[in-house]
Parts: sequence; structure tokens; C-alpha cells
Amino acid sequence: MAIGPTIPFTAIPWDDALFVLLAGTMLASGLAVVLMRDIIRCGLAMMVCFGSLAGIYVMAGAPVVAAAQVLVYIGAISVLVLFAIMLTQTKLAPARMAFQTQAVPAAIAAVVLLVVVLLAVGSTTWGGGPDRGDTKTTDVATMLFGPFVLPFEVVGVLLLAAVIGGVFLAKRDRSAADRPE
Amino acid sequence: MIRVILGSVLAGAFIVGLGLIGLAAGGSRSLNAYLTLSGILFAIGMFGFLARRNAISMLMAIELMLNAVNLSIIGFASFDEKLGPSGSVIALLVMAVAAGEATVGLSIILAIYRNKKTPLVDEYDAMSQ
Repeated sequence: MAIGPTIPFTAIPWDDALFVLLAGTMLASGLAVVLMRDIIRCGLAMMVCFGSLAGIYVMAGAPVVAAAQVLVYIGAISVLVLFAIMLTQTKLAPARMAFQTQAVPAAIAAVVLLVVVLLAVGSTTWGGGPDRGDTKTTDVATMLFGPFVLPFEVVGVLLLAAVIGGVFLAKRDRSAADRPE
Repeated sequence: MIRVILGSVLAGAFIVGLGLIGLAAGGSRSLNAYLTLSGILFAIGMFGFLARRNAISMLMAIELMLNAVNLSIIGFASFDEKLGPSGSVIALLVMAVAAGEATVGLSIILAIYRNKKTPLVDEYDAMSQ
């Protein structure tokens, strides 16, 4: 059975409804990341935010990026962040305040930036096409391993350096650990 | 029970209300909606980076900002057919760099935590003593 362009019994198009739901989930969970007091809930809200962003990428016609978003962000970075949270949470000194004393100036700065960005977006006519286009995966592959092959290799070297640097930094210093205080 | 139902209804209304921002900016078939969402997400991330005390919260806010930039790249790529595949490639490269940044940043935080025994950045005052 084919799915029509609008939700049955209403005049709402499916893509608008999906877009509203995904955008709302993304913004609400983004706010939760920033505003919640319990940091482990912030990490879980971050996973929700990344997931709904992957949905928005699909709606924008970039399915490869959406798949990579799920793999890299939800699968890898969120797990990394959650492990770091569990390693650094102390019961001895619970954070009484989640925010610094500069939270109010920070909020003002963020609102000012938001207004500037929204004004710039609203007052510019972008020269693109009137409708969105879907990106074909074969085109992405041709572009990635054709003109972009040098950045691709450089990113590989960068990831290797990041892995070695991460292991080196997080490694426990044996000589310092054995030394009596 | 009533409170749970009421809370879910309120949360759903909040989510739909926030999502209507995207619809008001033009819906999923206009570039302005994606750019507006990206700007809002970037502002949220900037507030989090400036205001939170926990170092890992600040890193999460940086991830939010990187995702906002990625969203605007994807938005531009989706509405310009000359830019289409290149935009996806650039977004993939940004993701790889973000993964490396998260790795190194979190291990730096772990190394500092091992010395200072606190994840709160306003107690990292070794330079000012």
C-alpha cells in the first residue's frame, strides 16, 4: 500500500510533520545537554540530539552523512563521552552548581549571536536551487576518492596521531604512581 | 500516574513547539530552515561551552557546535546541485576531525583529573598561582 503525500484524514504533508518532530527533538535535547544538572543525563540527551540530527540529514538528502553520523557520533563519540563521565564523576565533591558565575553573560552572548545569525539568514537570498536535491552515494564516493583523496589521506594520518596522542595522554604514569608521596 | 501523563504531554508540546520554529523558517524544503536550526544549535552549544563548570560538559557543547556547522554544510550542499557530493564529503571529513578532537580532549581531561581530582574547570587554577 502506497503512502500518500499527506497524513491520512489531514492536510499535513508527511515531510513537514517529520521535520517538525525531528527539529523539535533536536533542539529540546540540545537544550537538555546544556541545561541539565546531572551530567550523565546530559550525555544521554546528547545521543538523542545526534540521532535526530541524523534524521534531519536524511531529510536534507544526505543519507551517507546520516549513516556516518549514527556510526561516528552515536556509536563512538557518545560512548567515549559516557566513559569519560563515569571515570571523572566523584561522590566526594558533588557539583553544587552546574553553571559558572559567568552564566548570565554567556546567555546574553549566545542570544546576541543567535539574533545576528537569524538576521543574516533571513536577510540573505542564497543563490541555490529552489528545491532540495538528493545526493547519490556513488557521487559521494567518486568525489571522496577523486578530488578529495588528499584530505582523505590526511584525515587518516590525523586519526592515527589522535589515537597515539590519546593513549599517551591517558596512560597512567608508572614512575609517578609508584613514587611515595 | 497523572503526573507522568501530564509530563509527557507537556514534553511533547514543548518538542512540537520548538519544531515549529523550523516550520516557521520555511519547512524542510527551504534552505532557511536548515540554517536557522543550525544557528540555534550553535548558540546553544556556545552557551554551554561558556557557562558549564564541568570540563566534559564543555566538550559536549563543542560537539554540539561542530554538529551545527555540519548541519549548515549539509543544508547548503542539499540546495546547490553543483555543491552536492562535495558537501557530503566535507561533512564526513569534519566528523573525522571531530572524532579525533573528542579523543584527545577527553584524554587531556582524564590526565588533568588524575592530578587535580576534580572535573570542574574553575578549580584548574595552576597557572594563576
